[in-house]
Amino acid sequence: MATRTFDRRRLRLGIVIAIVCGAMAFLVLKGLGDATTFYRDADEVVAKRDELGTKRFRLQGIVQPGSVRDAGADVEFVVEYHCATVPVRHEGTRPSLFKDGIPVVLEGAFASRTSNVFESDRILVRHTEEYRTKESQKAEATENERCRT
Amino acid sequence: MKRGTSSALTMTLGIAAFLSLTATVVVGLTLPKTIEQGDYSKLIAIHPGIAWASYVALGVTALASALWLWPRTRSITYDLLAGASAEVAVVFTSLTLITGSIWGRPTWGVWWVWDARLTLSALMLALLLGYLALRRVPAESDVRARRAAVAAMLAVLVVPVNHFAVTWWRTLHQGRSLTQLTPENDLDGSFIFAMVLGFLAMTLVYAWLTVHRLRVARLEESLVDEDLELALEARRREAVLT
Repeated sequence: MATRTFDRRRLRLGIVIAIVCGAMAFLVLKGLGDATTFYRDADEVVAKRDELGTKRFRLQGIVQPGSVRDAGADVEFVVEYHCATVPVRHEGTRPSLFKDGIPVVLEGAFASRTSNVFESDRILVRHTEEYRTKESQKAEATENERCRT
Repeated sequence: MKRGTSSALTMTLGIAAFLSLTATVVVGLTLPKTIEQGDYSKLIAIHPGIAWASYVALGVTALASALWLWPRTRSITYDLLAGASAEVAVVFTSLTLITGSIWGRPTWGVWWVWDARLTLSALMLALLLGYLALRRVPAESDVRARRAAVAAMLAVLVVPVNHFAVTWWRTLHQGRSLTQLTPENDLDGSFIFAMVLGFLAMTLVYAWLTVHRLRVARLEESLVDEDLELALEARRREAVLT
Protein backbone atom coordinates (compact mmCIF):
# COMPACT_ATOMS: atom_id res chain seq x y z
CA MET A 1 0.00 0.00 0.00
CA ALA A 2 2.80 2.38 0.95
CA THR A 3 4.55 1.92 -2.43
CA ARG A 4 1.37 2.72 -4.37
CA THR A 5 0.85 6.04 -2.55
CA PHE A 6 4.53 6.82 -3.03
CA ASP A 7 4.29 6.17 -6.81
CA ARG A 8 1.16 8.28 -7.10
CA ARG A 9 2.88 11.17 -5.33
CA ARG A 10 5.81 10.84 -7.67
CA LEU A 11 3.53 10.85 -10.68
CA ARG A 12 1.71 13.94 -9.48
CA LEU A 13 5.03 15.70 -8.82
CA GLY A 14 6.21 14.71 -12.27
CA ILE A 15 3.06 16.11 -13.88
CA VAL A 16 3.35 19.37 -11.95
CA ILE A 17 6.99 19.76 -12.96
CA ALA A 18 6.12 19.03 -16.59
CA ILE A 19 3.34 21.63 -16.56
CA VAL A 20 5.58 24.24 -14.92
CA CYS A 21 8.33 23.57 -17.47
CA GLY A 22 5.87 23.74 -20.31
CA ALA A 23 4.57 27.07 -19.03
CA MET A 24 8.10 28.43 -18.64
CA ALA A 25 9.06 27.27 -22.12
CA PHE A 26 5.96 28.94 -23.56
CA LEU A 27 6.76 32.19 -21.75
CA VAL A 28 10.38 32.12 -22.82
CA LEU A 29 9.55 31.52 -26.47
CA LYS A 30 6.82 34.16 -26.41
CA GLY A 31 9.07 36.60 -24.58
CA LEU A 32 11.88 35.94 -26.99
CA GLY A 33 9.31 37.32 -29.46
CA ASP A 34 11.08 40.49 -30.40
CA ALA A 35 14.50 39.02 -29.86
CA THR A 36 13.59 36.34 -32.39
CA THR A 37 12.91 39.01 -35.00
CA PHE A 38 16.07 40.91 -34.40
CA TYR A 39 15.65 43.06 -37.48
CA ARG A 40 13.26 43.67 -40.35
CA ASP A 41 14.45 43.77 -43.93
CA ALA A 42 13.90 46.90 -46.01
CA ASP A 43 11.29 45.29 -48.28
CA GLU A 44 9.35 44.08 -45.25
CA VAL A 45 9.52 47.55 -43.73
CA VAL A 46 8.23 49.24 -46.88
CA ALA A 47 5.35 46.77 -47.04
CA LYS A 48 4.48 47.24 -43.37
CA ARG A 49 5.09 51.01 -43.25
CA ASP A 50 1.67 51.90 -41.80
CA GLU A 51 1.78 49.17 -39.17
CA LEU A 52 5.21 50.28 -38.00
CA GLY A 53 4.30 53.96 -37.70
CA THR A 54 6.81 55.66 -35.44
CA LYS A 55 7.62 52.53 -33.44
CA ARG A 56 11.29 51.93 -32.71
CA PHE A 57 12.73 48.89 -34.50
CA ARG A 58 15.75 47.63 -36.39
CA LEU A 59 16.01 48.03 -40.14
CA GLN A 60 18.29 45.84 -42.24
CA GLY A 61 19.48 46.62 -45.73
CA ILE A 62 22.50 47.01 -47.95
CA VAL A 63 24.11 50.44 -48.19
CA GLN A 64 23.44 51.58 -51.74
CA PRO A 65 26.80 52.42 -53.34
CA GLY A 66 27.19 56.14 -53.94
CA SER A 67 24.31 57.10 -51.65
CA VAL A 68 26.42 58.04 -48.60
CA ARG A 69 26.38 61.79 -47.99
CA ASP A 70 27.44 63.88 -45.01
CA ALA A 71 24.73 66.27 -43.77
CA GLY A 72 26.25 68.36 -41.01
CA ALA A 73 26.73 66.17 -37.94
CA ASP A 74 24.54 63.47 -39.47
CA VAL A 75 25.10 61.14 -42.40
CA GLU A 76 22.52 60.28 -45.03
CA PHE A 77 22.40 57.17 -47.19
CA VAL A 78 19.98 54.70 -48.71
CA VAL A 79 19.61 51.05 -47.81
CA GLU A 80 18.09 48.55 -50.18
CA TYR A 81 16.94 44.97 -49.93
CA HIS A 82 15.07 42.88 -52.51
CA CYS A 83 14.30 45.89 -54.67
CA ALA A 84 12.95 48.03 -51.84
CA THR A 85 14.82 51.15 -50.72
CA VAL A 86 14.62 53.20 -47.56
CA PRO A 87 16.40 56.53 -47.15
CA VAL A 88 18.18 56.88 -43.83
CA ARG A 89 19.48 59.75 -41.74
CA HIS A 90 21.91 58.62 -39.08
CA GLU A 91 22.94 60.63 -36.05
CA GLY A 92 25.96 59.49 -34.12
CA THR A 93 29.07 57.41 -34.67
CA ARG A 94 29.59 54.91 -37.44
CA PRO A 95 31.36 51.55 -37.05
CA SER A 96 34.80 51.46 -38.65
CA LEU A 97 33.67 48.83 -41.19
CA PHE A 98 30.80 50.99 -42.48
CA LYS A 99 31.02 51.55 -46.23
CA ASP A 100 29.22 51.13 -49.56
CA GLY A 101 27.66 47.81 -50.43
CA ILE A 102 27.68 46.21 -46.98
CA PRO A 103 24.63 44.91 -45.09
CA VAL A 104 23.82 46.99 -42.02
CA VAL A 105 21.28 46.85 -39.22
CA LEU A 106 20.00 50.26 -38.10
CA GLU A 107 18.26 50.99 -34.82
CA GLY A 108 15.78 53.83 -34.86
CA ALA A 109 12.37 54.79 -36.15
CA PHE A 110 10.54 56.77 -38.81
CA ALA A 111 10.37 60.42 -37.72
CA SER A 112 6.62 60.65 -38.30
CA ARG A 113 3.79 58.65 -39.83
CA THR A 114 4.17 60.49 -43.12
CA SER A 115 7.96 60.68 -43.29
CA ASN A 116 9.69 57.98 -45.31
CA VAL A 117 13.14 58.75 -43.89
CA PHE A 118 14.35 56.32 -41.25
CA GLU A 119 16.16 58.14 -38.44
CA SER A 120 18.71 55.93 -36.78
CA ASP A 121 21.04 56.39 -33.85
CA ARG A 122 22.92 53.11 -34.00
CA ILE A 123 24.50 51.19 -36.88
CA LEU A 124 25.49 47.54 -36.64
CA VAL A 125 27.28 45.82 -39.46
CA ARG A 126 25.78 42.46 -40.38
CA HIS A 127 28.05 39.59 -41.34
CA THR A 128 27.19 36.36 -43.08
CA GLU A 129 28.68 32.95 -42.46
CA GLU A 130 30.45 33.04 -45.79
CA TYR A 131 34.13 33.81 -45.99
CA ARG A 132 35.22 35.53 -49.20
CA THR A 133 38.75 36.56 -49.90
CA LYS A 134 38.62 37.80 -53.48
CA GLU A 135 37.18 41.14 -54.54
CA SER A 136 35.53 39.33 -57.45
CA GLN A 137 33.40 37.40 -55.03
CA LYS A 138 32.16 40.54 -53.34
CA ALA A 139 29.33 41.31 -55.77
CA GLU A 140 28.26 37.70 -55.50
CA ALA A 141 27.91 38.08 -51.75
CA THR A 142 24.91 40.36 -51.92
CA GLU A 143 23.56 39.14 -55.27
CA ASN A 144 20.60 37.32 -53.82
CA GLU A 145 19.64 40.28 -51.73
CA ARG A 146 19.83 43.04 -54.31
CA CYS A 147 17.48 43.98 -57.05
CA ARG A 148 17.39 42.01 -60.23
CA THR A 149 16.12 44.32 -62.94
CA MET B 1 45.95 5.22 -2.36
CA LYS B 2 46.95 7.22 -5.42
CA ARG B 3 47.19 10.93 -4.62
CA GLY B 4 47.52 12.36 -8.10
CA THR B 5 45.14 12.59 -11.02
CA SER B 6 47.49 12.02 -13.93
CA SER B 7 47.82 8.81 -15.86
CA ALA B 8 48.71 7.52 -19.30
CA LEU B 9 45.25 8.64 -20.46
CA THR B 10 45.60 12.22 -19.26
CA MET B 11 49.12 12.50 -20.60
CA THR B 12 47.99 11.32 -24.02
CA LEU B 13 44.97 13.62 -23.96
CA GLY B 14 47.09 16.49 -22.73
CA ILE B 15 49.71 16.15 -25.44
CA ALA B 16 47.08 15.70 -28.14
CA ALA B 17 45.19 18.74 -26.84
CA PHE B 18 48.32 20.87 -26.72
CA LEU B 19 49.43 19.89 -30.22
CA SER B 20 46.03 20.38 -31.82
CA LEU B 21 45.53 23.69 -29.99
CA THR B 22 48.90 24.92 -31.22
CA ALA B 23 48.06 23.80 -34.75
CA THR B 24 44.71 25.60 -34.54
CA VAL B 25 46.32 28.85 -33.42
CA VAL B 26 48.98 28.66 -36.14
CA VAL B 27 46.43 27.86 -38.85
CA GLY B 28 44.17 30.61 -37.53
CA LEU B 29 46.88 33.24 -37.60
CA THR B 30 47.81 32.35 -41.17
CA LEU B 31 44.27 32.67 -42.54
CA PRO B 32 43.89 35.32 -45.25
CA LYS B 33 41.95 38.52 -44.74
CA THR B 34 38.33 38.43 -45.85
CA ILE B 35 36.64 41.23 -47.73
CA GLU B 36 34.06 41.98 -45.06
CA GLN B 37 35.91 41.35 -41.83
CA GLY B 38 39.58 41.84 -42.65
CA ASP B 39 41.74 40.18 -40.04
CA TYR B 40 38.91 39.53 -37.59
CA SER B 41 37.71 36.43 -39.42
CA LYS B 42 40.75 34.64 -37.95
CA LEU B 43 38.74 34.18 -34.75
CA ILE B 44 36.76 31.49 -36.58
CA ALA B 45 39.59 29.16 -35.63
CA ILE B 46 38.76 29.27 -31.92
CA HIS B 47 35.37 30.81 -31.21
CA PRO B 48 33.08 28.16 -32.82
CA GLY B 49 35.28 25.39 -31.34
CA ILE B 50 34.96 26.83 -27.84
CA ALA B 51 31.19 27.08 -28.26
CA TRP B 52 31.06 23.50 -29.56
CA ALA B 53 33.03 22.30 -26.52
CA SER B 54 30.56 24.04 -24.19
CA TYR B 55 27.71 22.14 -25.89
CA VAL B 56 29.63 18.85 -25.51
CA ALA B 57 30.28 19.65 -21.85
CA LEU B 58 26.64 20.31 -21.01
CA GLY B 59 25.68 17.28 -23.10
CA VAL B 60 27.98 15.04 -21.08
CA THR B 61 26.54 16.47 -17.86
CA ALA B 62 23.05 15.57 -19.05
CA LEU B 63 24.11 12.12 -20.23
CA ALA B 64 25.87 11.34 -16.96
CA SER B 65 22.80 12.58 -15.10
CA ALA B 66 20.57 10.27 -17.12
CA LEU B 67 22.86 7.33 -16.39
CA TRP B 68 22.72 8.15 -12.71
CA LEU B 69 18.92 8.44 -12.74
CA TRP B 70 18.54 5.05 -14.44
CA PRO B 71 18.63 2.58 -11.53
CA ARG B 72 20.49 -0.07 -13.49
CA THR B 73 23.42 2.22 -14.22
CA ARG B 74 23.36 4.30 -11.06
CA SER B 75 26.86 4.97 -9.75
CA ILE B 76 28.38 7.84 -7.82
CA THR B 77 30.94 8.27 -10.60
CA TYR B 78 28.21 9.50 -12.97
CA ASP B 79 27.05 12.08 -10.45
CA LEU B 80 30.63 13.30 -10.02
CA LEU B 81 31.15 13.33 -13.79
CA ALA B 82 28.03 15.46 -14.24
CA GLY B 83 29.41 18.00 -11.78
CA ALA B 84 32.91 17.97 -13.25
CA SER B 85 31.68 18.42 -16.80
CA ALA B 86 29.42 21.27 -15.72
CA GLU B 87 32.34 23.16 -14.20
CA VAL B 88 34.31 22.82 -17.43
CA ALA B 89 31.17 23.88 -19.31
CA VAL B 90 31.15 27.15 -17.35
CA VAL B 91 34.72 27.80 -18.48
CA PHE B 92 33.94 27.16 -22.13
CA THR B 93 30.62 29.04 -22.12
CA SER B 94 32.27 32.08 -20.55
CA LEU B 95 35.09 31.92 -23.10
CA THR B 96 32.50 31.68 -25.88
CA LEU B 97 30.91 34.92 -24.75
CA ILE B 98 34.28 36.63 -24.26
CA THR B 99 35.78 35.63 -27.63
CA GLY B 100 32.48 36.48 -29.27
CA SER B 101 32.50 39.98 -27.79
CA ILE B 102 36.11 40.48 -28.80
CA TRP B 103 35.10 39.63 -32.36
CA GLY B 104 31.82 41.57 -32.29
CA ARG B 105 33.21 44.94 -31.18
CA PRO B 106 35.25 45.64 -34.32
CA THR B 107 33.04 43.72 -36.77
CA TRP B 108 29.46 44.42 -35.72
CA GLY B 109 30.39 47.63 -33.94
CA VAL B 110 29.11 46.53 -30.52
CA TRP B 111 30.25 44.30 -27.64
CA TRP B 112 26.82 42.74 -27.21
CA VAL B 113 23.29 42.50 -28.61
CA TRP B 114 20.28 40.66 -27.24
CA ASP B 115 19.56 38.55 -30.28
CA ALA B 116 18.38 34.95 -29.91
CA ARG B 117 21.85 33.37 -30.17
CA LEU B 118 23.57 35.61 -27.63
CA THR B 119 20.59 35.65 -25.28
CA LEU B 120 20.40 31.85 -25.25
CA SER B 121 24.15 31.58 -24.70
CA ALA B 122 23.92 33.92 -21.71
CA LEU B 123 20.96 31.86 -20.47
CA MET B 124 23.07 28.70 -20.80
CA LEU B 125 25.74 30.24 -18.56
CA ALA B 126 23.13 31.22 -15.99
CA LEU B 127 21.65 27.71 -16.03
CA LEU B 128 25.08 26.15 -15.55
CA LEU B 129 25.84 28.42 -12.58
CA GLY B 130 22.42 27.60 -11.13
CA TYR B 131 23.12 23.89 -11.57
CA LEU B 132 26.45 24.17 -9.75
CA ALA B 133 24.77 26.13 -6.94
CA LEU B 134 22.09 23.45 -6.69
CA ARG B 135 24.76 20.78 -6.25
CA ARG B 136 25.97 22.60 -3.15
CA VAL B 137 22.61 22.80 -1.38
CA PRO B 138 23.01 20.58 1.67
CA ALA B 139 21.01 17.35 1.60
CA GLU B 140 21.42 13.59 1.64
CA SER B 141 23.87 12.73 -1.13
CA ASP B 142 21.22 10.72 -2.99
CA VAL B 143 18.71 13.56 -2.81
CA ARG B 144 21.33 16.06 -3.96
CA ALA B 145 22.34 13.86 -6.85
CA ARG B 146 18.74 13.33 -7.96
CA ARG B 147 17.90 17.04 -7.84
CA ALA B 148 21.02 17.92 -9.82
CA ALA B 149 20.37 15.15 -12.35
CA VAL B 150 16.84 16.35 -13.08
CA ALA B 151 18.04 19.95 -13.31
CA ALA B 152 20.77 18.97 -15.78
CA MET B 153 18.36 17.12 -18.03
CA LEU B 154 16.16 20.21 -18.20
CA ALA B 155 19.07 22.63 -18.66
CA VAL B 156 20.49 20.68 -21.62
CA LEU B 157 17.41 21.58 -23.67
CA VAL B 158 18.95 25.00 -24.24
CA VAL B 159 21.69 23.41 -26.37
CA PRO B 160 19.65 22.30 -29.41
CA VAL B 161 17.50 25.44 -29.22
CA ASN B 162 20.63 27.61 -29.20
CA HIS B 163 22.20 25.64 -32.05
CA PHE B 164 19.16 26.06 -34.29
CA ALA B 165 18.34 29.57 -33.10
CA VAL B 166 20.24 31.10 -36.03
CA THR B 167 18.17 29.03 -38.47
CA TRP B 168 14.74 29.27 -36.80
CA TRP B 169 14.87 32.96 -36.02
CA ARG B 170 16.35 36.12 -37.40
CA THR B 171 19.56 36.89 -35.54
CA LEU B 172 22.47 39.26 -35.91
CA HIS B 173 24.78 36.32 -35.27
CA GLN B 174 25.70 34.45 -38.43
CA GLY B 175 24.08 31.23 -39.54
CA ARG B 176 25.71 27.83 -39.59
CA SER B 177 28.94 27.68 -41.58
CA LEU B 178 29.16 23.95 -42.25
CA THR B 179 25.95 24.06 -44.25
CA GLN B 180 27.77 26.35 -46.69
CA LEU B 181 29.97 23.49 -47.84
CA THR B 182 28.31 22.87 -51.19
CA PRO B 183 30.04 22.52 -54.60
CA GLU B 184 28.36 25.68 -55.94
CA ASN B 185 29.80 27.88 -53.24
CA ASP B 186 33.11 29.40 -54.19
CA LEU B 187 34.34 29.92 -50.65
CA ASP B 188 37.82 29.80 -49.23
CA GLY B 189 37.90 26.31 -47.67
CA SER B 190 40.77 27.17 -45.34
CA PHE B 191 38.31 28.92 -43.02
CA ILE B 192 36.17 25.85 -42.61
CA PHE B 193 39.31 23.76 -42.12
CA ALA B 194 40.49 26.08 -39.36
CA MET B 195 37.08 25.93 -37.72
CA VAL B 196 36.91 22.12 -37.75
CA LEU B 197 40.48 21.90 -36.43
CA GLY B 198 39.33 24.19 -33.63
CA PHE B 199 36.43 21.81 -32.89
CA LEU B 200 38.90 18.95 -32.50
CA ALA B 201 41.37 20.90 -30.36
CA MET B 202 38.73 22.27 -27.99
CA THR B 203 37.10 18.87 -27.58
CA LEU B 204 40.47 17.43 -26.54
CA VAL B 205 41.06 20.29 -24.11
CA TYR B 206 37.58 19.69 -22.68
CA ALA B 207 38.26 15.94 -22.27
CA TRP B 208 41.61 16.53 -20.60
CA LEU B 209 40.17 19.06 -18.12
CA THR B 210 37.15 16.91 -17.32
CA VAL B 211 39.11 13.72 -16.66
CA HIS B 212 41.34 15.57 -14.22
CA ARG B 213 38.39 17.29 -12.53
CA LEU B 214 36.47 14.01 -12.22
CA ARG B 215 39.46 12.34 -10.62
CA VAL B 216 39.84 15.18 -8.14
CA ALA B 217 36.16 14.73 -7.24
CA ARG B 218 36.66 11.01 -6.73
CA LEU B 219 39.66 11.64 -4.52
CA GLU B 220 37.55 14.07 -2.47
CA GLU B 221 34.89 11.37 -2.08
CA SER B 222 37.38 8.77 -0.92
CA LEU B 223 38.87 11.27 1.52
CA VAL B 224 35.40 11.77 3.00
CA ASP B 225 35.10 7.99 3.36
CA GLU B 226 38.59 7.81 4.86
CA ASP B 227 37.81 10.56 7.35
CA LEU B 228 34.63 8.76 8.33
CA GLU B 229 36.53 5.51 8.87
CA LEU B 230 39.15 7.26 11.01
CA ALA B 231 36.45 8.96 13.10
CA LEU B 232 34.65 5.65 13.64
CA GLU B 233 37.92 3.99 14.67
CA ALA B 234 38.60 6.76 17.17
CA ARG B 235 35.13 6.36 18.69
CA ARG B 236 35.51 2.60 18.88
CA ARG B 237 38.82 2.98 20.69
CA GLU B 238 37.24 5.45 23.10
CA ALA B 239 34.39 3.01 23.75
CA VAL B 240 36.86 0.22 24.59
CA LEU B 241 38.84 2.39 27.02
CA THR B 242 35.79 3.66 28.99
